[in-house]
Amino acid sequence: MPADDLSLRCAVTDLYTHHHGWLQGWLRQRLGNTFDAADLAQDTFVRVLKARNALEIREPRPYLSRIARGLLIDLFRRRSLEQAYLEALALVPEGEHPSPEEQNLMLQALLEVDRLLDGLGARVKQAFLLSQCDGLTYEQIAERLQISVRSVNNYMAKAMEHCCLMQMRMQLS
Amino acid sequence: MSFAKLQLSVGERQAISGAARWYAQLRSGTASEQEQAAWREWLAADPLHRQAWERMQQLGEQMSALPGGLAGSTLRGAGRSRRELMRNLMVLASAGSLGWLGWRSDSAQQLLADYRTQVGERREVRLADGSALLLNTDTSVNVTFDGQQRRLQLLWGEMLVSAGVDALHRPLRVITRHGEVQAQGARFVLRSEEREDQVAVLEQGVQVSLGNGALVRRVEAGQQLAFNTRSFAALQPNDASVGAWRQGSIIALDRPLGDLLADLSRYRRGVVQCDPQIAGLKISGAFPIDDIDRALAALESGFSLRIERYTRYWVRVSQRRVG
Repeated sequence: MPADDLSLRCAVTDLYTHHHGWLQGWLRQRLGNTFDAADLAQDTFVRVLKARNALEIREPRPYLSRIARGLLIDLFRRRSLEQAYLEALALVPEGEHPSPEEQNLMLQALLEVDRLLDGLGARVKQAFLLSQCDGLTYEQIAERLQISVRSVNNYMAKAMEHCCLMQMRMQLS
Repeated sequence: MSFAKLQLSVGERQAISGAARWYAQLRSGTASEQEQAAWREWLAADPLHRQAWERMQQLGEQMSALPGGLAGSTLRGAGRSRRELMRNLMVLASAGSLGWLGWRSDSAQQLLADYRTQVGERREVRLADGSALLLNTDTSVNVTFDGQQRRLQLLWGEMLVSAGVDALHRPLRVITRHGEVQAQGARFVLRSEEREDQVAVLEQGVQVSLGNGALVRRVEAGQQLAFNTRSFAALQPNDASVGAWRQGSIIALDRPLGDLLADLSRYRRGVVQCDPQIAGLKISGAFPIDDIDRALAALESGFSLRIERYTRYWVRVSQRRVG
């Protein structure tokens, strides 16, 4: 309803005016970096807008910092993936490095897959990556992980189901 | 990340798990003629099956589009540090607001610290009581001030503390992984690392206590003291090297090369590796910390060393071959 929309927007604007500076400071303290802090503060308010619950927020600062904390952890996830990527890349001969554009695309793709894999058990994930990324056969995986071929098969099914559901969930939000 | 709730009918849910099982089975490379026929039958039986199967196929294609080896190592590597993060978050959650239990040098605790510097960064922080902190490279600090206490938690790294004298006479307590330093208006440099902490006092005195006050030692201006959770090292007089980082350099006085390189590498991302054969070489000099590559070049020319760079992140220091 438009009237609702208006009061919602007002509430968010109000939040923004009173707490944006504070939130950015809160983030800057934790990140030690003004640019990341400004980005994450912005993202936090985008989340608030999307959640459409600004009218029900009783304690704005704890609420905002809870969202921001989640974003911080997301940022950490991204950085740890980038770090792992750089380490993996360091083992590739310099001449075979992809171009910066390709690398960027690859990182984006890896990030998405990384999110899909989130929540999978370590062994299931391991089996899945050995098959999908490293191209090992089920027999080779079974030998490597000291499990039966039947289990590899089950792990693969489990991983695919998990990723598929994650992807559907991400497409929703 | 939080997601919207996914609402699926029983049929949809079953189609997805069936499709996943078929995908795994067909991918095994050992599916028989009969199984393939059964799969085709399953596929034709319900439009939901076909839909779910298409999703699986897309997903499979998305995965195989990734560059194999690189993707595998990246995703595995990220998983490792991620597990650490989750463990730490768990600790944070269970230990309540203090987040005390698990001392870790990395990840969550540092990321969520109140004040934090990046590698190579120095930053000044003014606190509500008039105290000032100068954080050195890669340092994380939490600050808790209330009616009874002024408490800092140095999670990792190094800082210069200029403790203000408090109107409420609350002592300033700095807690580290190894012990606690108490001060009232002193100036001191405190460094906390995995194996030990070191405090060097510049003005007035501080009190260091271990094991909740079981062991206590006083350190006066001009003195420094190293300690771990169990014991104190001998008190030493300060020298020119104490806090030289404030002016952007490390001053080495007869310092073993391995030790100096470890110190220099705190200011630079990546790995500086030292050939064990020359790690004991005694080095003296002043080295800039805002340009570690220049510092390494100075070492190379001044002490007949050889610096090899494998990547931007990986440097190895060895002896220059004679002749």
